[in-house]
Amino acid sequence: MKSIPLRILAITLLKELGLASLLLLGVSFVVFVILYAAPGDPFSVLLEGQLPSEQALAGIRAAMGAQQSWYGQYFSWLHNVLGGNFGTSLHSGLPVAGELVKVSLNTLYLTLGSMLVTLCIAVPIALYSSMRGHAVAISWPLTMLGYVFSALPVFWLGYIAIYVSVHGFDFFPLSSSGASDGNGWLYTLVPVLVLGLGSGTISEVIRYLREEMSRVMAEDYIRTERAKGASVWRHAFKEGLLLPVSEIIAAKIPFILGGAVIVEQIFNWPGMGRMAWQAAQDRDFPVIMGIALVAAIFVRVGSLIQRIVYTAVNPQGARD
Amino acid sequence: MAQPLLKIENLRTYFYAHSKQAFVRSVDGVSLEVGQRETVGVVGESGSGKSITAMSVMGLISGGPGVIGGSIHYASDKVQKNLLEGLENYVQLEEGNGRVLTVKKDESGWQKASEKLMAGMRGKEIAMIFQNPRASLNPYITVGEQITEAVRLHSGISAVKEARERAIHWLERVKIDSPRLRYNSYPSGMSGGMCQRAMIAMALSSEPSLLIADEPTTGLDATIQSKIVDLLQELKNETGISTLLISHDISVITRLSDRVAVLYGGAVVEYGPASQLLDAQAGFKHPYTAALLASVPNQQKIRARANLQAIEGEVPDTINTPPGCRFYARCNQITPEIRDKCAAIHPELKDVAPGHQVRCWRFIN
Repeated sequence: MKSIPLRILAITLLKELGLASLLLLGVSFVVFVILYAAPGDPFSVLLEGQLPSEQALAGIRAAMGAQQSWYGQYFSWLHNVLGGNFGTSLHSGLPVAGELVKVSLNTLYLTLGSMLVTLCIAVPIALYSSMRGHAVAISWPLTMLGYVFSALPVFWLGYIAIYVSVHGFDFFPLSSSGASDGNGWLYTLVPVLVLGLGSGTISEVIRYLREEMSRVMAEDYIRTERAKGASVWRHAFKEGLLLPVSEIIAAKIPFILGGAVIVEQIFNWPGMGRMAWQAAQDRDFPVIMGIALVAAIFVRVGSLIQRIVYTAVNPQGARD
Repeated sequence: MAQPLLKIENLRTYFYAHSKQAFVRSVDGVSLEVGQRETVGVVGESGSGKSITAMSVMGLISGGPGVIGGSIHYASDKVQKNLLEGLENYVQLEEGNGRVLTVKKDESGWQKASEKLMAGMRGKEIAMIFQNPRASLNPYITVGEQITEAVRLHSGISAVKEARERAIHWLERVKIDSPRLRYNSYPSGMSGGMCQRAMIAMALSSEPSLLIADEPTTGLDATIQSKIVDLLQELKNETGISTLLISHDISVITRLSDRVAVLYGGAVVEYGPASQLLDAQAGFKHPYTAALLASVPNQQKIRARANLQAIEGEVPDTINTPPGCRFYARCNQITPEIRDKCAAIHPELKDVAPGHQVRCWRFIN
């Protein structure tokens, strides 16, 4: 019955991918310039505590290719990246690419999981209070609850969660993700819940969804559907829920990635945020560059998904 | 005379103004009938309560307190009932001085009971078309699918293919060119006139007994308006559907209506056969109707380069309804003998000719 306009979708996809590659190029360049201009020298960090001779330092610089001009360094990095080589970490000496894949998968799990937690809480509250309006007494306290949770800072909520799960009850085994007993995966739920509840997004999502839904419910075409005896929900779904949710996902990914840095620190979660934190302290250029690139890809994929949903839902609008 | 298809009696629909004690009396005691196979036109300025009357019939009023009294008897071959049956139990009115002072309404109870009464009515027995047709169609779904949905909901056709054919048949009947192609159009890809045709197709596809057309030509180009009116006329002759036609455009009302009700300040001020009521020369006319007719441009006036006549004054404030005739402040036909009555007492509807009623002290002795 429904034909998803594949051709328009494909065009949109190509356009977005082209834009994304330009954007990534820009991001990598800006990050590189900032890193280059920032004070501090990765090599002195590397050789901290030793008293290297000028000769030794020069030797390391030569071996790392740091004697080129700054744009020379950028272009050789770019050249390598296009060939799939992200370089090796200055700190650990491991290839960056492999590490990136590992940590970004961990962070992806954390990000998507917390997004899911946020939506699972916010969507029902928003729908309930928009459908029933202020007539229902319970919608107000529910919304307030959302605000209270959003006001809890992640760094505090994280420690409270650890405290409660360790001392309160033994449900979440916090010791290690590699726990051999079957419920080791439960460990991963705590940081996901903390990030989902505490990253300040719930109240915003509730408010945004509720306003969108109420606006759509007041549209002329919804009146027509009611007069027609059709299901209002079926007709309000696309504009009132699907589009706003995809917009939220696209818009909130950067914030959640920011929150992930803190949560990963607290829970010792082997993800991008913690790695970025470590790399920044070590002035580990190749790792920082790699993570910046992956983070930009995450954000871009979010808006790509939003574009795709929008195009699939409203092919006419996409054509204009 | 056979039982009328729709009989609205003393309908009252209020809205809260700025507090729970002040009301906008949008519809304040409207009574009118739509006979079988009859088109009744409802005219009046903006804010006279035309659309609210229609929405009240459909049970689609949102915002409190909404419908607070009256009865809406509906009697087609298939269904006979009062669409407000038993709903008065959910409302408590406190009246004083002949007007409502406070309303206590159990909104959710009313809503539930009303939904129960309206089940199987909306779209099936009573269909509705609106002004601004493009905004009234779902922009995210093709026009064809929207009609197919109506067919499947109300015509007992559940097979998609068959429903689709029926939808295309209706697109053809409302004279949309190449209906098979248009089936897959989105509303944004069609002109306003075509959207209104699609709306009409959607409304009629379930073969309802009553069509409520709420300003069907408003927002369309003049030439398109005329074509939509032609189409409504033709479909009325073909299907024999009864229509409650709401418009502020006297020419549309003139072309389509058998009977006309003139609404002013939430009440019917004149009700009668279209031929008598809309004839500017005929006697027995409410001053408001006369003024309305005088404000319509016609050939003679245009040739004589006469200035268009506007009705002096503003649409009445229904929050602080004056105690007397609601048209009192703007009326130009008050004579010294009746002035006191006009200012103090709201007149009743009075027969001035068979089937022709006017609410004016000039005709009450």
